[in-house]
Amino acid sequence: MRRNQGCNQRDHHLARRQFLAGAAGGAVGLGLLDSPATAEKIKGQHKRVLQVYLQGGVSQLESWDPKPGTEFGGPFRAIPTSVPGMHISELLPYTAQYMHLLSIVRSINLKTNDHRQGRLFMEKGRRAGEYPYVGSIASKYLAPPNSELPGYIHISTRGLSDNTAAFLGAQHGQLKFEGVKPPKNLAVPKGLDQTADARRIQLRQQFNTQFGRGRSKSMTESFDASFEQAAKLMGRKSFFEKAPDGKDLERYGKHDFGRNCLLARSLLENNATCVKVTHHGYDSHAENFNFHLEQLGEFDKTFAMLLSDLHERGLLESTLVMVYSEFGRTPKINVRYGRDHWGSAWSIALGGCGIQPGATIGVTNEKGTAVVDREIDAGHLFHTYLQALGIDSTNDHEISGRSIPIGDPTAQPIKELLA
Amino acid sequence: MKVNQPDTSGAIEAQKPVVESDLIEPTKTHQVAQFKHEFPLTSCRVDPTGTYVVAGAQDLDIHVWNLHTKVKRTLKGHTSWVRSFDFSDDGNTLYSACWGGDIKVWNMTDAAPKPTMTIAAHKGSARWVRLSRDNTKLATCGNDLLVKVWNIADGQLLQTFKGHERHVYAVDFHPDGQHLVSQDLMGFIKIWDLQTGKQARSMDATLMTGYDKKFAADMGGARDLQFSPDGNELASAGITNVVNSFAGVQDPIIMLFDWKTGKEKAQLKPDKTFQGIAWGVRYHPDGFLIGVGANRSGKGELWFSKPGEKEFFHTLKLPTAARGLDLLADGRHLVIPHSDGSVCTYRLTAKAKILGT
Repeated sequence: MRRNQGCNQRDHHLARRQFLAGAAGGAVGLGLLDSPATAEKIKGQHKRVLQVYLQGGVSQLESWDPKPGTEFGGPFRAIPTSVPGMHISELLPYTAQYMHLLSIVRSINLKTNDHRQGRLFMEKGRRAGEYPYVGSIASKYLAPPNSELPGYIHISTRGLSDNTAAFLGAQHGQLKFEGVKPPKNLAVPKGLDQTADARRIQLRQQFNTQFGRGRSKSMTESFDASFEQAAKLMGRKSFFEKAPDGKDLERYGKHDFGRNCLLARSLLENNATCVKVTHHGYDSHAENFNFHLEQLGEFDKTFAMLLSDLHERGLLESTLVMVYSEFGRTPKINVRYGRDHWGSAWSIALGGCGIQPGATIGVTNEKGTAVVDREIDAGHLFHTYLQALGIDSTNDHEISGRSIPIGDPTAQPIKELLA
Repeated sequence: MKVNQPDTSGAIEAQKPVVESDLIEPTKTHQVAQFKHEFPLTSCRVDPTGTYVVAGAQDLDIHVWNLHTKVKRTLKGHTSWVRSFDFSDDGNTLYSACWGGDIKVWNMTDAAPKPTMTIAAHKGSARWVRLSRDNTKLATCGNDLLVKVWNIADGQLLQTFKGHERHVYAVDFHPDGQHLVSQDLMGFIKIWDLQTGKQARSMDATLMTGYDKKFAADMGGARDLQFSPDGNELASAGITNVVNSFAGVQDPIIMLFDWKTGKEKAQLKPDKTFQGIAWGVRYHPDGFLIGVGANRSGKGELWFSKPGEKEFFHTLKLPTAARGLDLLADGRHLVIPHSDGSVCTYRLTAKAKILGT
């Protein structure tokens, strides 16, 4: 939607700091900051996001919403956690010890069983349309002005490339790391010395200036920001060259996911704003139980160690932790011992910045086939993530004269989950 | 019914004499009985006297049918699905292993058996349980990567064998009583010396595993393991040629190994159109091998092969997925648990003839 066509577009270009000030104000208004001391603390801290994406759709029955002994409960048992009365699957024994740092949402109904639709809904908070991912929003509104790292980093050994930034600009798009390997072309090309490199940057800037005359600044600033980001990353090449500590590897696991989570920890410690780590292999249409044994066996200890480290290092308070998928899995077990796609009644775990820990939101029925209390969808979750981070999700993105609601105006945050 | 006509509905009709064939002819195998449970079955075992079949299901119970009377009993006590069984030679004692890691012992002579002993055998699933030939020890394996041997008299742990690096799927005693074999997810078969407590040698079944690149996960493991009666051969049932294991796209396989050399002897596979998993394998006393499996669509097949031959000489299509196999001591019957909740008895002879028809 366009508005106020006659005014100077600069008026609509809220500085990130200005926006954050407004966001903090909004947070106060929403009751997110409960005391001046807390408000001061949140203002003083760089807020971050850690997304752990269990690609393919982790089974809620084998993770956050076990139903042992029921028709579709599967072979695994439920175990107690560090939160009295809260039980999760026995496949998550390490995570169970840290559930006082997390909360579970058990009542998600996306009304879709499609991988792509589910993924986009969970990331964008909208069923359809070109909207930015949570990570890109975090990059735009939370990344410090002089951040040495890109605002949205995705560590994955494979996967799909999406336009995550939508209208926010390419500099807020996801930068994908292929595991712990440094991004390609970090080194200055062979045969190009520092003087020549500086001259080519100068030349590009000259072209930009020339091109920008009489045009909107936004047409070049996105490219400029991307170049600056790349240059900063090139300057931090050594970041990727340092081998992980042996003790850390022992704790996190020597597998790819362990190494990727160690990199995520380092990135967050170095002021990365949103780090997403994808753990593949949950789309278990066959052999669901053996695969969940394998995959969650890898996830559990590593994730628990990462969560514990963030907590012990004082980062959890300012880091929103999301453990999510694109949907869950069918309660009904098919003839291949598989569970199929199920977006109708499934779960995620959240914790850290702005999230009330130790809570269980929503209830599914005895067989796990339907939500019976506090049904929510990804629109509600999206508002919840952003408000937990102090971003007023009821506000608008102001993009080149357009006001675009940040969150879906028809959805609301899960207020009882907000700290 | 007309008022004046006598009511003959309660009359017993004279049965025509039935003549069962005793000649074992695998190509004539046919179903003779079916017992039904409300949930899909996952495993089965027949007691050595041929009286009972026990089955695990997608619930927490053990389901026991008397093959003669067809009476069903339910044994309660496990807290997760039951995945493996074995019987004492007299059929009076049942041993069961569950996903929760426990082994339970049941006195089958009791009217309503309760566990007489529970062994917390493994951290993570106890995948397999087998009784030694002398009926004094139990071998178990599980997801803690361990193979363990227990004294059945008191449930005490006798030996622990470490060396597998991935989940251990199956274990069995060699008939010589001196060795144990175990196979893991990655197809590593380890042969353990019970005297020294160490690994003696190994066999290579790595063909029976596959890394699914798309989903970044391994799939494999023995779904059944059995020695030939003379101990000269080991058969392992499972999968090979993993294409997309998350959708069940892989081929069933039964691998045969020479015990003395440890070398592979054969790779037995069904028709290429049957993609799925081989869930059971048994050596028939007459020398042929029987295998069973399930495909992606939920259908089953029963396979028969002769020693030295590389292809099955007979395949019997089954309407629902087969999830295990056991053979009755009479050699004329086998039992299969199915995904539709039925356990079916099949007879390895020509169909019975009804005289006078």
